[in-house]
Amino acid sequence: MRKHYSLRYFTKLAMTGLWRNGVMSVASVAVLMSCLVVLGCFALLLVNINVNLENVAQLNQIVAFCEYDLDEETITNLEAQIADLDYVDSVTRVTKEEALQEMQEQSSEYAGLYEGITDENNPLSDSFEITYEGTDETQVYDLEAQLRSMEGIRKINSVYQVAKTLDNLKNGIMLVFLWFLIILFIVSIFVIINTIKLAVYSRRSEISVMRYVGATNWFITLPFILEGVLIGVFASLIGFGVETYIYNYVENMALSDLEMITILSYGKIALPLFFGFLVVGIITGIIGSVTSLRKYLKS
Amino acid sequence: MIDFKHVKKYYPNGTVALDGVDLHIDDGEFVFIVGHSGAGKTTMTKLLLREEAVSSGTLIVGSYNLSKIKNRDIPYYRRELGVVFQDFRLFPNKTVYENVAFAMQVVGTPRSMIKRRVPAILSTVNLADKIKCFPRELSGGEQQRVALARALANNPKIIVADEPTGNIDPKMSIEIMNLLMKINKLGKTVIVVTHEKNLVDYYKQRVVMLKDGQIIEDRVGGMFA
Repeated sequence: MRKHYSLRYFTKLAMTGLWRNGVMSVASVAVLMSCLVVLGCFALLLVNINVNLENVAQLNQIVAFCEYDLDEETITNLEAQIADLDYVDSVTRVTKEEALQEMQEQSSEYAGLYEGITDENNPLSDSFEITYEGTDETQVYDLEAQLRSMEGIRKINSVYQVAKTLDNLKNGIMLVFLWFLIILFIVSIFVIINTIKLAVYSRRSEISVMRYVGATNWFITLPFILEGVLIGVFASLIGFGVETYIYNYVENMALSDLEMITILSYGKIALPLFFGFLVVGIITGIIGSVTSLRKYLKS
Repeated sequence: MIDFKHVKKYYPNGTVALDGVDLHIDDGEFVFIVGHSGAGKTTMTKLLLREEAVSSGTLIVGSYNLSKIKNRDIPYYRRELGVVFQDFRLFPNKTVYENVAFAMQVVGTPRSMIKRRVPAILSTVNLADKIKCFPRELSGGEQQRVALARALANNPKIIVADEPTGNIDPKMSIEIMNLLMKINKLGKTVIVVTHEKNLVDYYKQRVVMLKDGQIIEDRVGGMFA
């Protein structure tokens, strides 16, 4: 005989189950949603750190600062020596006057700080902006070591080191978030298990009659699995809304206050994020339901 | 055909509920299973419904060997049975029609067939005029008749009634028993588990008496000793 089950029938049962256990259902959605928002923040943070890391790494730049009070001839010699070093692509000299001017321009709102500083009592030193070829770690460290050992060079700032620091920071953040996420997902699975158990309990007499008249396991359990799926769908939809708000807020803040940071436009990542939320939400919902229904699936 | 061959059932706490039961019931028979509390009646019912598995021996019902049945086949086996309980187990928020239709819905019967069959079954149990009532609007006997209609919904070959008159008054009990007799006359095997002496003695059918998990008497036209 052809079976006449409809998705509408099962969805109606699932919705009724969610409605009957309102408080637990809301709790499940809220916990799973928080989990997804944290997951989203984590993912977006990583994506943005990676973009910025790439930007920094692409600069391939080292800034070497000269000792104070070097004469013009020594500085010109230094420039020539640096240009002769292995892996160096270009050397641009930035005089201390240019550096002061640039600093004043960048911090125009704090003009008072620079009052009384003239070319005569300029506390800065001349520097060289050096770009190099390739990003091989040993080559960069080799070049940095050669620059440090040169007479007349006071210190060097390497964006390679900045990139390495950022990379380490990214790994640290990943580890912390990962643990946080694991705990949150476990909590949300437990809350979903309880919600489904309550739904099963409130329909226990119905289930017992279903079994006696020969309902198959999947017929009995499908509405509860759908309930888990619905929890996942609701949590991911609300979570996506919250994530959108948070990202736009951070994006606006970062764009207005931190111009040096590149923030990916939300339009580019919204779709993958939405589907990611939906998939993770639904899978978590299903894991929660199936775990609480194992007893029914077995017998 | 139902065949118990040296069936034993032990529970994990060490209780021996059935101790080497041999029983053969032919198609179309009417059998009372009687005995006092703890005799093994409930266990026998549970084995027949395949709520519990036999510990040893063989239990064959129709084409199913319940000693070896796979979990996935149990629902299909249960469709061969109709079950009636002492406490009716009706859904209070469903009408008489919906309660009976539910049993057909869960096994995937087409809606058109449900619409045709439910009123016919309700006529068999003399409840055609109560089709739109809710269980709370019915007497105990009427509720048990709805349960009987639900048991018949999927046209099973065997009806197992576990203390079907336990919750209703004597007059209604006769009515339910008469209905079970009528169903038996339609060709279905009927097994009534009960401890009500008067009913058993009145109907003079085959009586299987259990004591301490063993059959101590099996007699056609027997009495509740």
